[in-house]
Amino acid sequence: MKITERVKQLRQQSLNAVEKISAERALLITQFYKSDQARELSAPVRRARAFEYLLKNKKIYIGEGELIVGERGPSPKETPTYPEINLHSLKDLETLNSREKVSFRVDEEVRAIYKNEIIPFWEGISNRDRIISLMTPEWIGAYNAGVFTEFQEQRAPGHTALGYRMFRTGFLQLKEEIRESISCLDYYNDPEAFDKSEELKAMDIACDAIIMYANRHADELEQLAKTEDSSERKKELHRMAAICRKVPANAPETVHEMLQHYWFIHLGVITELNPWDSFNPGRLDQHLYPVYKKEMEKGSISKDELYDLLGCFWVKFNNHPSPPKMGVTAYESSTYTDFCLINLGGVKPDGTDAVNEMSYILLDVIKEMRLLQPGSMVQISKKSPDRFIHKALDIIKTGFGQPSCFNTDSIIQELLRQGKNIVDARNGGASGCVETGAFGTEAYWLTGYFSLPKALELTLNDGFDKRTNRLVGIETGYADDYKSFEDLVEAFRSQVNYLIDIKIRGNNVIEKIFARWMPVPFLSLLVEDCISNGKDYNNGGARYNTSYIQGVGLGSVTDMLTSIRYNIYDRKKISHEELKIALDADFTGYEQIQYDLIYNTPKFGNDDEYADQQAVAVFEIYYDAVNGRPTSRGGVHRINLLPTTSHVYFGSVIGATPDGRKAFKPLSEGISPSQGVDKQGPTSVIKSASKIDHLRTGGTLLNQKFAPSFFEDEESYDNLTALIRTYFSLDGHHIQFNVVNAETLRDAQKHPELYRDLIVRVAGYSDYFNDLGEDLQDEIIARTEHEEV
Amino acid sequence: MKGLIFSVKRYSVHDGPGIRVTFFMKGCPLSCWWCHNPEGISPEPEKVVQKNKIGEKEFSIVEDAGKLFSVDEILGILEKERAFITHSKGGVTFSGGEPMLQCEFLIEALKACKDAGYHTAVDTSGYSSTENYRSVIPFTDLFLFDIKHIDDTMHLKYTGVSNFLILENLLLLLHSPGDVIIRIPVIPGVNDDSGSMNDIRQLLINFKTDNLKKINLLPYHKTGSSKYNKFNIPYRMGSIEPPSKGRIQELKEFFCEVGVKVKIGG
Repeated sequence: MKITERVKQLRQQSLNAVEKISAERALLITQFYKSDQARELSAPVRRARAFEYLLKNKKIYIGEGELIVGERGPSPKETPTYPEINLHSLKDLETLNSREKVSFRVDEEVRAIYKNEIIPFWEGISNRDRIISLMTPEWIGAYNAGVFTEFQEQRAPGHTALGYRMFRTGFLQLKEEIRESISCLDYYNDPEAFDKSEELKAMDIACDAIIMYANRHADELEQLAKTEDSSERKKELHRMAAICRKVPANAPETVHEMLQHYWFIHLGVITELNPWDSFNPGRLDQHLYPVYKKEMEKGSISKDELYDLLGCFWVKFNNHPSPPKMGVTAYESSTYTDFCLINLGGVKPDGTDAVNEMSYILLDVIKEMRLLQPGSMVQISKKSPDRFIHKALDIIKTGFGQPSCFNTDSIIQELLRQGKNIVDARNGGASGCVETGAFGTEAYWLTGYFSLPKALELTLNDGFDKRTNRLVGIETGYADDYKSFEDLVEAFRSQVNYLIDIKIRGNNVIEKIFARWMPVPFLSLLVEDCISNGKDYNNGGARYNTSYIQGVGLGSVTDMLTSIRYNIYDRKKISHEELKIALDADFTGYEQIQYDLIYNTPKFGNDDEYADQQAVAVFEIYYDAVNGRPTSRGGVHRINLLPTTSHVYFGSVIGATPDGRKAFKPLSEGISPSQGVDKQGPTSVIKSASKIDHLRTGGTLLNQKFAPSFFEDEESYDNLTALIRTYFSLDGHHIQFNVVNAETLRDAQKHPELYRDLIVRVAGYSDYFNDLGEDLQDEIIARTEHEEV
Repeated sequence: MKGLIFSVKRYSVHDGPGIRVTFFMKGCPLSCWWCHNPEGISPEPEKVVQKNKIGEKEFSIVEDAGKLFSVDEILGILEKERAFITHSKGGVTFSGGEPMLQCEFLIEALKACKDAGYHTAVDTSGYSSTENYRSVIPFTDLFLFDIKHIDDTMHLKYTGVSNFLILENLLLLLHSPGDVIIRIPVIPGVNDDSGSMNDIRQLLINFKTDNLKKINLLPYHKTGSSKYNKFNIPYRMGSIEPPSKGRIQELKEFFCEVGVKVKIGG
C-alpha cells in the first residue's frame, strides 16, 4: 500500500495540529443546563435534549481534502471539556497549558469563559463533586493512600466497542424499534413502565439528533461545493453530502458509507459524554469485508480508493486526543492516546477462522499510517494462519508497539464463563488496554485499579498507612505478629477482602449516580437490548453488565511475599524487625540486605515454582474477593489484571518493599515480572505468567520487550509465532512486544526534539516516548537494557 | 553420572531448528583466539567474581562457572520448556566448550532426550576421537559442525589444534544418519580472505552429501572480550573489528555455490 497524497497531507496536518482546550462544549452544555427547559425534564430526556443541543449548535468542521467528516471540537485536536462530569479550575487549565508532557493550549478567551460562565455554574455540582461527597471516610482514606483509583471520578463509564449489528443498522430502524418497545410497555404489571417510557423517549430524541447532525454536515458540504473550483473536489463534496444524508439514518451499503456511518456514531458517543477509551469500531475487518467484497465485484471501488478512504478514516482518530484530566490527575496523567483498539482476525460467529483479505489490508494501513491512534491488535485463534501472525510481526518489528497479540480462544472462554452465549462471545474481543468484552451487547466498565502491593504493605503495618498517617486497612497485626507465612497470607486475605469491600461499596453508589444523573441515551441505542429493555446503558440496560476492578502489581506483590517467605520464614536469614528497619531506611546503610533481597531471592518470572506459588495464591485471594459480587445495575464484578500507567502512580505512594525495591519506584506492570528480575528469557516469563488462571479474568497484560535482533528473518518469525502460540495454548490472554533498544531511548530522553515520532509500548497501549514522564521513560529504558544484556 | 555445564539457555533460537534449550558443556580441547565463551574452555569447575551495583555501592559475589547436572535434571529443564519445543518443532542442543569432551555423559543425555521425544543437536568443533562420534551418532538428529580453516598451520596457530581429525570426522558425519549444519566463524585477519574462504567452499563442495543441510556464517563479534578479564585469560584478538555487513553478504553469496541454504548467524 502507498499512502495517497491526500492522506499524506491530512496525516501531517494531524501530527502538526496543536492540542487545544475548546470551551465550545462547556459553554453549550452550560447554556442548556441553565435553560428553563432543562430543569423540567426527567434525567434521560434532559441528557437527550442536551445531546441534541450540542449537535445542533456546535461548529461543523470540514477539512480540506477530507473524505470522512466530523470533529468532536471546532477543529482537529481542539478538545472539549465535560464540566457536568468534572470541572476544571483555572489552576487546572494553567497546569494543562504549562505542563511539559501533552500540554493543551488554553488561550485567554477559554480562561475567561471558564472564569465567568463555566466555573460559577458548575462549582460544587459536577458529577465528580456528587461522587466524592457520597463516598465514605473509609473510601476516601483508601483512595488517598493509593489503595485504589476511581475510573468514574473524571470520566463516564466506557470501554465499549460497536458490535456487528450497528454496522448494518440505521437510526431510522432504531426509531422503529423504540416505537415498538414503547408500545409494548405494560403499565399494569411493570412498575418501571414509566421510567422506561422516559428512557425510550430520550433514545428517540438522540436518534433524531444524530441524523440532524449528519444533515448539518451535508448542508455544509453542499455549501462548500458551490464555491469549490476544482471540479473533481466538487464531485467529491456532492458525493460526501449524499452519504451524510444517507447515513447514519439508514444502513450503510458501501465502504465509504460504513466508515462515515461509524464516524458519526463515534462522534455522538464522545460528544454525549467523555466515556473511557472514547469509542471503538471493534472488529473492523469483519464489518468492512462484506461491503468491500460486494463493491469489488461490482467494480465500484478500486484498491487506491479504498486506501484513500481508510487513510482518511485513520487520521480522524488521531485528531482526537484523550480529554484532559483535572486536579492532581492533570499533573500526573499525561497520556495522549484514547485507547481505541481496532480488532483484526479472530473467529466468525460460526467459529470458523475470521481472518480475511480486509484483515491484511488493515494491517497494511496500520503499517503505513504509523499513527498512535487508533490502536490496533490482532486476535489470534488456533485457527488463524501463520501468515497472519507473520504479517503482524512485520509491523511489531518496526518498534511502534502495534499491533498487540490477543488470544481469541481465551477471550471466548472468558466470555462464556461469564455467561455470554457463544455467538456473542465469538463476536467479542478486547478493547481499551486488554479488556474482554462482548462487542455491541455488553456494558463492561472498568471501575478502578487496585494496588495489591499496597494491601500487603498495610498487612505488614496493622492496616496503618504511614504516608497519609491514618488507619486505612483492617487491624490484622504487624509483621512480627505473624508466626508463620500462612498466618501472613491469611492476614493479607483479610486485608484484601476489607479493602475490596470498600471499593465495591463505592462502585455500587457510583453506578447508581450515573444511572440517576448521567444516563446516556445515545450510547444506549448502540448496545443491544437497551432499547428492548427500555433501560439506559448506565442503568443495566445492556444484555450483559460487568464491572471490573483491575489488579495491579502482581509481579511486585509476588516478589514481596516470596522474599518474606524465603528470607524470614524458610531460610531465617533475617527477622521481620531487621527487615522493617531496612525498609524504613529505604535501604540506606542496609545495602547488603537490599542486595540479598534482589539477587539472592527467588523471583516471579523465572518459571520457579517457589516464587510462582505466591502469584497463584495472590490471584486466588484477589479473585475470591471480587468475582461474582453483584453490582447495583444488575451486573457482576469481575477481575482483570492490567495497569495502564497506574503501576507508576501506585509505586510513588509505597515505601521500600521486601523485594528490594526502593521507595516510590514503579511497581511491576500487568502480569509481567518486576522490572529486570526475569533472568531466564521469554519462555520462563510465559510459563510463570500462565500459572494464574487467565480464563477466570476479563483480561491480563503481559509485556515482553525484544531487541530487534529477534525479528531478523523468516525463522525468527516462526519462533516468535511458536512463542505466541505456546503462550496461548497455556490460555494466556495477551502478549505484546516492545522492539526497541535502550541506546535509542536514552538518546531520545536527551534530545526529545529529534524523536517526536518515537512511539513505545507503555503497557496495554503505545504512547509517544516524549510524552511519558521521566520516571516512566527511565523504567522503559531499564527494561530495555535488561533485555539487551 | 553428571555433566559439567556452565550455562543453560532457554529460548535458544540460533542453535538448531525451532525453540531449543542449549546446554553449554564445560571444557574444550581447542583454544580459539576469538572464543566468546572463554568460561567454557577449562574442564574444571571455576569460580568467577560477579559484580553488581546497588546505587553507588558495588557488590562482588563469587559464582560458580560450571555446575554438575544429572541427566534427570536436564530432562526436568526440558520438560518445563516442552510446550515451546513442541509448538516450534525445536529441541535440545548440547554445545560448549566441546560437548564431546564429556562423551560418556553426552551419550547418556542424548539417549534420554531422544527417548523423551526431543530433537537432539550437538554443536561440535569436530575435535574428538572418531570412535566418540560413532557412539554419539545414533542419538543425534543434527550436528552443528564448525570449520575454521583448511590450512592446517593456520588452524594450529589460531585454535591450538590440527584440523586433520576434524575433517575426518566431518566426512564420517556426512555419511552417517544425522543432519549436518556447517558453521563457519568469519574472523577478520584469520580466515576472511578469499583464499581461505575458497578453500572451505571447495572442501564443502567435495564433501557434500544429502546430509549437509545448511551453512551458517557466524561473523566475529566482540562480546566475549570483557569475559576474558573475569577469567584472567589473555584476549588475543586485540582491537580487531567485526567484519562489515557488506563482506558478510558477499560471503553469503559466495557460499551459495555449495548448493545448500546459507544463513548469516545461527
